[in-house]
Amino acid sequence: MNEIPISRERTSVAINKNQSLILSFLSMFCIFALLAAISNGSYPISLFSILKGGEDSIQKTIIIDIRLPRVLLSCFVGASLGICGAVLQGLFRNPLADPGLIGVSAGAALGAAIAIVILPPGLSESLTGQLLLPISGILGALIVIVLLFSVTKGFGGHSTTYLLLMGVAINAIVGVLIGVLTYISTNTELRTLTFWTMGSFSGATWTLLLPASVAIMSSIGLLIPTAKNLNLIQLGEIEAYRLGVNVQKLKTRIIVCCAICIGVSVALSGIIGFIGLVVPHIARLLGGVSHKYLLPSASLLGAGIMISADLISRIIIEPMELPVGLITSAIGSPFFLWLIFRMRKHDY
Amino acid sequence: MTIKSHGISLLINGEKIISHLDLEIIPGEITAILGPNGAGKSTALKILAGDIQPSYGDVKYNNINLSEISIVERARLRSVMSQSQTVAFDFTTLEIIEMGWIHENNESYSFSYSDALEEIINICDLHSLLLRRFNTLSGGEQKRVNFARILLQLWIPKTDNYSRYLLLDEPFTNLDIFHELKMLKIIKSYLSKNIGILIVLHDLNVARKLADNVTLMRDGRTIRQGPTDEVFQEDLLSKTFNTCVKVNDTSPKITFF
Repeated sequence: MNEIPISRERTSVAINKNQSLILSFLSMFCIFALLAAISNGSYPISLFSILKGGEDSIQKTIIIDIRLPRVLLSCFVGASLGICGAVLQGLFRNPLADPGLIGVSAGAALGAAIAIVILPPGLSESLTGQLLLPISGILGALIVIVLLFSVTKGFGGHSTTYLLLMGVAINAIVGVLIGVLTYISTNTELRTLTFWTMGSFSGATWTLLLPASVAIMSSIGLLIPTAKNLNLIQLGEIEAYRLGVNVQKLKTRIIVCCAICIGVSVALSGIIGFIGLVVPHIARLLGGVSHKYLLPSASLLGAGIMISADLISRIIIEPMELPVGLITSAIGSPFFLWLIFRMRKHDY
Repeated sequence: MTIKSHGISLLINGEKIISHLDLEIIPGEITAILGPNGAGKSTALKILAGDIQPSYGDVKYNNINLSEISIVERARLRSVMSQSQTVAFDFTTLEIIEMGWIHENNESYSFSYSDALEEIINICDLHSLLLRRFNTLSGGEQKRVNFARILLQLWIPKTDNYSRYLLLDEPFTNLDIFHELKMLKIIKSYLSKNIGILIVLHDLNVARKLADNVTLMRDGRTIRQGPTDEVFQEDLLSKTFNTCVKVNDTSPKITFF
């Protein structure tokens, strides 16, 4: 029994030392961001005073009812957008496949918005009504991914361009529809247009956070084991099949898991751009392109960055709050430009 | 124990790409497919690999219909080398070779992983390329790396010895003479490992040196099939390739005009 750990190290294509070092650094970054985000805000609370068993009931309420669900939601949404970006880029074999850019998030937003408008106001207050939101978000995301797949298939070598053009079109159409919905609807639940376009974690509650975290964590748990097969897909679908990958099964699994992650994330926090694009690329620059390393690192980095971005959005112009999407886009859009220039040089 | 195709035809949009093709890959033997451009050689190889479903006829691995063999099992039985290989993202050469290791979930093989990898890298002499980015390699170097990957896919420990098959689509293009000769040697050495080889070739001289059996194709049809010396007749080759071909008994054995 003693020998197994040693031999197992040599049994399979595992991540290397450098990569596991980066993974532990990213975990630390995540935990640090989590603690910082819980204790800071418009009302700073020292973590030590809580650990000592703070007697202040206002502090307790702020931490448990307001800040903790908010920070946890940003953590789950960041992780889900990070890993979905990595997985979709892998599946489409396309470095620009970001859930926001290619319209998947927009599809989820439209699904959720339609659910709000259709549901009778009484129902939307109840738990079932609230749960229907993420479910219709999942459906919206699913429809867009399947649509993108079937449309870009026929374009062969030009699929990168067409994927992005499709994304532009879908984003524009959804923008119009959500805009119309928010103006004609009297339902206060439909929130504001900025919620859907810029995102926000301010509405986080425990009732929705619990099912959302279960859905997101189990999807991430199902995505991480696809790493080996995602690596093989980079050789092309035919080569992956020759190496024993059931490509159709892999696609279905990834598409469904991504739709769940993105659908739930968008329904709860709106469209937050560029995390899915930037995070996997930073992770690749840090430690390489193998999905065995990339998938866990993209989830950790996504969670850490999202928690930090939300913290910045809360404290930068106290006591006001910036939409979190503004922060992520401010970091992400220059990065997007840099990627395009880099692609031109490499001629993907 | 063979890979056998029986009477396969392939229709695409009503056009016959392959018609009534019989092929056989036998462990310990090399079968070559020869023919002019567009004869359907690569398509035939893809049908045998299971990439494409034939419109008529069937493909059998070890007497079992291909459709009844799982995708994972097929990968254990045969590996395929394409004419060219593109890879999305900057994988290192080592990572590309490692992709050929399909026994990750197989307990009895998994302990041999580093031995297998080392053996293949030694055979193919790829030490100097291992940490380079695959996409920055030259066409010939990429070919050598892919060759190593498909050899790793068929690697089994010495205690095990079931029949396996290598399907190679023009493996020597882009290779310099040194590496071509080297790959030829490796291919021949694999015949003794209970491996059967199908090879699509353009170089008639190489084919005559290498192959035990030859299938001559043109326009999706079989022109002639049989032992190499029987197929290598001047009039047959000249007609098939639309070129005057002379078969000599001295070196070089085949000359063109």
